[in-house]
Amino acid sequence: MTEAVIRKKPGMASVKDMPVLQDGPPPGGFAPVRYARRIPNKGPSAVAIFLAAFGAFSYGMYQVGQGNKIRRAIKEEKYAARRAILPLLQAEEDERFVKEWKSYLEYEAEVMKDVPGWKVGESVYNSGRWMPPASGELRPDVW
Amino acid sequence: MASAVDAAGEPIPTSAVLTAASKHIGVRCQPENVAFLKCKKKDPNPEKCLHKGQEVTRCVLGLLKDLHQRCTKGMDDYVGCMYYHTNEFDLCRKEQQAFEKACPLE
Repeated sequence: MTEAVIRKKPGMASVKDMPVLQDGPPPGGFAPVRYARRIPNKGPSAVAIFLAAFGAFSYGMYQVGQGNKIRRAIKEEKYAARRAILPLLQAEEDERFVKEWKSYLEYEAEVMKDVPGWKVGESVYNSGRWMPPASGELRPDVW
Repeated sequence: MASAVDAAGEPIPTSAVLTAASKHIGVRCQPENVAFLKCKKKDPNPEKCLHKGQEVTRCVLGLLKDLHQRCTKGMDDYVGCMYYHTNEFDLCRKEQQAFEKACPLE
């Protein structure tokens, strides 16, 4: 009933004669819509892009080299410090070792005193060089 | 760690003290160090290089004592910084500059 009230036309015989109410374009039509691609052809050329990338890369590698130089200097300082104090540490260890070795030789002489032809402290190697003891327990107080 | 010196005022050769003084040791005790290393290279037997080793020990410990007497504060600060940062030179630049200004590397 309400549709007939809204859409009525004067002199209408039945509901079937109602005018059509439609949603449509405004008079004159809509404005034209652009849908075509418009990608501009300007900007850096291929050579320019390549040179920029190459330049950035070279600059980065140069910075890497500089950083490596600095890191190497830091490492060199650390190694130089170690080289400077190495002889002191080795000398102290030598003293301790000689004392320990002498007491060990006495113990060996005590244990092997009845074995004929046993030379205490004799090297088990034939090369003539001095080799550190290979008993597997270098410093029992530490390990 | 209490301090860098023991009861008699002698610097204890801990790693912090030795790394702090390493540049001085490298300069001042170089002849003894080089002689000891040459002896070791010739014969690694510890009994053969005991005398040179004692020279090295004497030189380094004497140098530590001398440094500590001449610039106590600078050395103590540097050693403390080394101890805190476990012998990392890069983290103790300020104390290093102060120490080397007070006791130059000659």
